[in-house]
Amino acid sequence: MSRYQILVFPENCTGCMRCMLSCSRQYFKIFNPAISRICVQLSGIDCAITFTDECNHCGICADGCFFGALSKQVEEKTK
Amino acid sequence: MKTLGGFAGKILYVDLTQKTIKTGALDPDMAKKFVGGLGLTIKLAYDRIKPGTDPLSPDNPVVIGAGPLVGTDIPSSSRVYAVTKFPASGTIGWCGAGGVTFGCMFKNAGYDHLIIEGQSDKPVYLKIIDHKVELCDAGELWGKGILDTCETLKMSDGRQGGVISIGQAGENRVTFSMAYVDGIATLGRGGFGAVLGAKKLKAIFVKGSQGIDVADQERYESLKNELLQTIQGYRYLKEWQSLGMLKSFPAVPVETYEKIKKRRIACVSCPLGCKDVVEIKDGRFKGLVARSSSAINLFTPLAYGFTDYREAVKLIATLDEYGLDMFEFFGVMNFAAALFKNGVIPEKENIPEIAMDSLESMEIWAGKIAGREGIGRILADGFAGMLDTYKKDAEDYAPALVKGMHPYTGPDSALPWDLFGTMELGQIMDFRGPHVGSGGSPTYFAKRPLDVFPRHLKRMGVPDPAIARILPDPGAPEDEQNLKIGSLLKYSHRWFSILGSLGICARAQVNRFYNAELCAALYEAVTGIGTDIDQLRLRADRVWTLYKMANVREGVGRNAESIPERWVRHPGFKNYVSEKPVTREEIEQMITDYYMEQGWDTATGIPKAETLKKLGLEDH
Repeated sequence: MSRYQILVFPENCTGCMRCMLSCSRQYFKIFNPAISRICVQLSGIDCAITFTDECNHCGICADGCFFGALSKQVEEKTK
Repeated sequence: MKTLGGFAGKILYVDLTQKTIKTGALDPDMAKKFVGGLGLTIKLAYDRIKPGTDPLSPDNPVVIGAGPLVGTDIPSSSRVYAVTKFPASGTIGWCGAGGVTFGCMFKNAGYDHLIIEGQSDKPVYLKIIDHKVELCDAGELWGKGILDTCETLKMSDGRQGGVISIGQAGENRVTFSMAYVDGIATLGRGGFGAVLGAKKLKAIFVKGSQGIDVADQERYESLKNELLQTIQGYRYLKEWQSLGMLKSFPAVPVETYEKIKKRRIACVSCPLGCKDVVEIKDGRFKGLVARSSSAINLFTPLAYGFTDYREAVKLIATLDEYGLDMFEFFGVMNFAAALFKNGVIPEKENIPEIAMDSLESMEIWAGKIAGREGIGRILADGFAGMLDTYKKDAEDYAPALVKGMHPYTGPDSALPWDLFGTMELGQIMDFRGPHVGSGGSPTYFAKRPLDVFPRHLKRMGVPDPAIARILPDPGAPEDEQNLKIGSLLKYSHRWFSILGSLGICARAQVNRFYNAELCAALYEAVTGIGTDIDQLRLRADRVWTLYKMANVREGVGRNAESIPERWVRHPGFKNYVSEKPVTREEIEQMITDYYMEQGWDTATGIPKAETLKKLGLEDH
């Protein structure tokens, strides 16, 4: 599985939570923002995008982002 | 136990009088029959609203629901709907909003629908965290505005939750007050805020961690990827993401918008994002942050004579904080100004003098209405209240009204669209009264060439014989060519029922990516309920006809579909194709065409027995 450096651009985030849905579905086979490994907290102007310790940098969150708030760069390859 | 994919599987029942909370299983057969979301919300409301109920009484239930696609990552599937009896129109109506995060959180808490009955004896808010549901004291929140309330609750339990809240206008039962979803999406033109306020329900906070599953993972993935390809290939996608609704409706120059744009906001899973956070950068309101369900709303006062966009933004921010519907507010203020000018209301009450282009005047009057202060207590009851108070003296000065409300488009209305399409006819044909909603019809856009209509109508699932009825006869002379707007509206309502019942946003800019066959396939893949396009069309017709039946019980037939005189007086609406003035007879014919297409009696507007039988609604 590829691992990536996830680049975060909170200024582009719209709070659509698609990254959280993609992550939870990838790892838990269910859409559930509460258990995703990425967390978006958006309140008006302020936006915080954080990752839990379990995040393995797979980049599926960036794949699902419509607005350029997340992108991924190749970090390393594992078998 | 979950029996269906997509659905959370439970209904939450809250009785504010008895202070009881219980849950019940969603009936899978009923879900199948009424699709979900909007459709099931209508069904649950139909079963509970007793004919003749006072909208602001404890007996008026509120049903809220989110469709089976809500909570998945199907693009733009986050809609939340509510059905209740509305105080402004006196009819049973739906209201809907981009669910922002509320819909997704509600589904994740384990519920598809929420049924609120009774009336609390003191202000409360409903707190839903998965199976832990409680009515909490809202004494500290009562008197607060929309955003203030939303921000107090949104982060109150760790990760953010979804919030529906009312402002001071809802608390004081202003008949044109709304509720707001996550402080930004409006819910309920026609007085939904007042209905919640009468119940002393300040807000609903929800957060969940149950998860939403889909029945057929492989097919779901395939359909979603196909849809994503379409969206990502849309040539205006980037422009849309950057400008939002301003792309369709350039209320201010792009440079002005770019100057104040702070953040685009999207409902869960939406690729476009039509909502906005802006910040005023200079002048006396420097630093003011405003949110809106669309930036163009923030500039609406420019249509009423404001010249400084910063003042326009400030006024709309104030109206939003009170929870006031801006269209009705401006209509009521114009009406009140005419009544003062002509001595119907004593001039001594005109303090400050109503000036439609003055921020100071408008803000003070908004406060008087939201707080029911002075003459504001009469204005707070909207056109119906004002006409009831001042009776015949006032009638001559009233604007065009539909079901007692101010149309948002048409002569003397806020939006300058003058071509008479389905959205315009829909203002009088939807039982809830006028509201901004397209249903996805191609006439949403002005002067769209007729040769593109067949493609759009096919996408909406209109059968070929109906397309032939709607479109002009190709052999007819050019000056006799006409669109059957009434017939088209039936299919627009059906398309809206499909989208709303699944949970997909009906905005024209979003639903362009969908078609009826795709909706049937998505519904089947998500829920596991076998559904082809014909079955989905039948169920959607069942939904809209049941909506009609709920209003037939209230005495709403063809008699209620009255055409404002102002619409057919020069300069009034124009025919969509010929652009000649529309006549009363033309609109009456459109109403007849609509009833015929629906299988409703053309004289009374009541669904025929054979139609009810075909739709499996014989018992209703």
